[in-house]
Amino acid sequence: MHYTWDFGALSMYRVLFVRGLETTLLYTVGTVLAGLVIGLAAGCARTFGNRFVSTPFRCYVEVFRCTPLLVQLIWMYYALPVLIGASMSPGMASFLTLSLYGGAFYAELFRGGIAAVDKGQWEAGRATGMMPLMVFQRIILPQAVRIMIPSFINQTVMQLKNTSLVSTIAVADLVYQGSVITAATYRPLEVYTAVAVLYFIVLFPITAFAEHVEKRLGVHKS
Amino acid sequence: MTDLPPGDVTMTSPSLADPQHDASRLALQHADFVDQRATLMIDAQQIEKRFGTHTVLRDVSMGVSKGEVVALIGASGSGKSTLLRCLNLLEVPDAGSLRVGEHRFDFRPTVGKAGPKVAARPAAMLRRDIGMVFQHFNLYPHMSVLGNIIEGPIRVRGMAKQDARVLGEALLEKVGLADKRDQYPARLSGGQRQRVAIARALAMEPKAMLFDEATSALDPELVGEVLQVMRDLASDGMTMILVTHEMAFAREIADRICFMDAGTIAMSGSPAEMFQADRNTRLGAFLERFHQR
Repeated sequence: MHYTWDFGALSMYRVLFVRGLETTLLYTVGTVLAGLVIGLAAGCARTFGNRFVSTPFRCYVEVFRCTPLLVQLIWMYYALPVLIGASMSPGMASFLTLSLYGGAFYAELFRGGIAAVDKGQWEAGRATGMMPLMVFQRIILPQAVRIMIPSFINQTVMQLKNTSLVSTIAVADLVYQGSVITAATYRPLEVYTAVAVLYFIVLFPITAFAEHVEKRLGVHKS
Repeated sequence: MTDLPPGDVTMTSPSLADPQHDASRLALQHADFVDQRATLMIDAQQIEKRFGTHTVLRDVSMGVSKGEVVALIGASGSGKSTLLRCLNLLEVPDAGSLRVGEHRFDFRPTVGKAGPKVAARPAAMLRRDIGMVFQHFNLYPHMSVLGNIIEGPIRVRGMAKQDARVLGEALLEKVGLADKRDQYPARLSGGQRQRVAIARALAMEPKAMLFDEATSALDPELVGEVLQVMRDLASDGMTMILVTHEMAFAREIADRICFMDAGTIAMSGSPAEMFQADRNTRLGAFLERFHQR
């Protein structure tokens, strides 16, 4: 089998690669931030809420954890507008789905992190006369976040890769631009190799950083 | 010395442990009963505490005057830690009443599974006036030594950061750890951690201090430095209640020792009285076992 690789053919589509990467990063940052807010709220509700508060959040988390993201995305874009009687742009559907999906996983990370903080920390805070919310903010959450960091970064790396699915509903992310360039150049091998390299270039520093942080935090563990 | 029947323990009298003086003292106690209780710093009455179906404290009453040092001793499971934790409401009693300074609580039995609760704000107000030192230190691992100490003064007492730092440094000086100011707790020995924990509690300028087996988790060679800090506090006139297994230490610094057995204060008195206990009494048997170890 003989194939002549020609990456030079891609050079005139540089702009599309860059735009696609920008869109991918934009969706990642936006949905990670939204997901963290949702995750913190849902994680707290599941940790501190009584049965009536925690059960609905449990349902939300499980629905989003136990169904494929691709199915959620398609459902959000095609089915939800029918149910609520209003159309949704591909960008909106993508943002909502990815945020809720990420939020479900972050919720479990927050819940695990909060539960992993020693009970004595709550008592120490309360014993100095702090109100429960202040104990949570000042004593518990900072420790929970430190515990969470490795799995948080892991989840965020997946979140960035998961944004590639938005190309299926025509959001112009890196993978979508790849398909556009492929259609124009008939060079799928070069195009998707380039796309993979771009994802790697963005993500590798993040995972390397995660490893560094993990090592440094280990020093302060008591 | 007599074993008191459970459920009939009133710790507000100066001493119930000496039969020769009981009659006159009880008479005196009745006349002054109300006044005497009003001058107490901590006044717990008829405290009951259950965990599920297990009753941990039954009808326990104890009063502590300003400047008094009270040691709670007894076998594990006798309820001494639970009693101590009831005094700052880390455990909420099922029945009885508690007054600490001007903070007053009445506890009613609750129906259903969720245990008794108190409103968060009044409980927090009470805890501002009572410091607590835990067996496992419970320092905040993400804050420096000084950060641990000034957190309460800044967040709870609303002290200016600069003033809190001055206070914190003075307290570190007092517990002999001025040079550890910027260290993190993980870098300290157990004895050093516990001294920081004591400084952290003192930073709230409490009216009383509770010590829950403050030296039980320490290596034997580190116990002394913590006891020395506690000794200094006692001689400064701090009101202290300590749960301890250090009998010699209790004997040395306590004004009064309460022996707990099966959820009641079975006996109480001065160290001299208590350590003469007949070996046929529960206290005597407890002390005997202790010396044999």
